[in-house]
Formats: sequence, structure tokens, C-alpha cells
Amino acid sequence: MIGNDVIDLEATRVQSNWKRPGLLEKLFTQEEREVINSHNSPEIMVWVLWSMKEAAYKIYNRQTKLRSFIPLQLICTIDVSCSTVIRGVVKCNGFIYATKTVLDGNLIHTIATVNIIDIEKIEEPENSNVIKDTSGIPYQLIENEMYPVSISHHGRFYKIVSLKYC
Amino acid sequence: MKREEIIEKLKTIVKPYVNNQEAYENMNESSDFIKDLGVNSANLVDIVLDVEEQFNIVIDNPEMERMLDVKTAIDIIEVKTE
Repeated sequence: MIGNDVIDLEATRVQSNWKRPGLLEKLFTQEEREVINSHNSPEIMVWVLWSMKEAAYKIYNRQTKLRSFIPLQLICTIDVSCSTVIRGVVKCNGFIYATKTVLDGNLIHTIATVNIIDIEKIEEPENSNVIKDTSGIPYQLIENEMYPVSISHHGRFYKIVSLKYC
Repeated sequence: MKREEIIEKLKTIVKPYVNNQEAYENMNESSDFIKDLGVNSANLVDIVLDVEEQFNIVIDNPEMERMLDVKTAIDIIEVKTE
């Protein structure tokens, strides 16, 4: 199982005002807001945590078939953080997801997996033949076999990811 | 408040966040904010905050969790503005 979420920081500046009164309280737990406020760039941390929630939600939605807007139920913790890579975990109603977020200029890209070992086995397939099932979940078709992929686009960025099958 | 009044006001609220203009022009109770109107999920919270301000109500978390489509939004607002 895999989920991803890409964010174009420049696009967020046009589309969202994360400083809007009451907004952070509706999206982030108190612990997450402390992580945001203590970071040297609260803006980047807002979108890192948001992309973690979105990437994890994509798997949660595949597993449970439940569709709802549950940012406060997707609880993020950050384990390792440097200026370009942030590793963490998102928990949601007994489910747990490993995440890896890559920062590159205006690009924030989070990948979430169920198994932590899978997080280093990610491919970005080119020329992939993507089909969607009746729930709208995307798959890559390789020699008539369906492999799950996750697709995200925002602003100038588009990312498709899949797990490597050996 | 009547449902017709609510949907008119809601239409003005969602306008800045819509990415599918055609779906917006045909917006009705069955419209889904994300799937139909193309609202970015990060902007759903803006719709919730705008609804709170414009209708002078408080949307709690379980209500926000359900607010993915126009019908549910109207249901929630209708009860609170009785």
C-alpha cells in the first residue's frame, strides 16, 4: 500500500492563508501546532505536516473505503528531520503509516507506506499505463497485472509513485 | 433558514475555491466539493471557516468531517440556523 502527496509552496501562497485565525486549530492537533510554532519556518512545517496527513489518508481511504475530512484524526509525529528529508509516522484509528517527506525548493513531496521497509522501495514510473477502479483508485497495468500507484499534483508539480516489485 | 437561501449563500462562499467552473455553474445539493467542484482539500477548511463566519455558527469537528458535499453542508447549516 502506498500514498503520496505533492505540494507546490508557491501555489499554496496564492490558494491558502495558513495564518487565518482558527485554521490551524481545525487541521492540526495541539502537539502538531507546537511542532509548527517551534520550527524555524512554521510555513514549511504546516505544509510538511499537511502532506503527511494527505499521503497517509490516501492509504487509509484505500484500506477502509471510508471517505471523510479527518485531519485531526491523522496524527503526525516526526522522527528524523533535516533540511531536505523528514521521516515520520502518521497514526489514524489504529492504523499506522510510515512517511518520508522530501523538500526541494518549492516542492514538498511525502510518500507514505504501511510497511516502513517499503519506504525506500519507491519508484517513480515513467510512461505508466494508469487505470482506475470503480472507487477511483489508480493502478498501473503491467503485463495485464494491476499494481497500485499513487498520483498527486499541485501547482507546477506532478508525482506518480509505486512500490518496486522484484 | 430555508435550504434555497442557504445554497445561494454557500455558492458565494465556495466560489473562490472552485477549480471546475462548469460544475460550479450547475452546483446543486448532490455536488461534491472535491470530486465535482475541484476544491483543493486544503481549502475545505476555508469553506468551513467561511460558513462559520457568514452564518454565524460553530461547526464542530465531527460535522466538519462529514462536510464533503453541498447536501451535508446544507443539512448542518439548516439545523444550526433554525
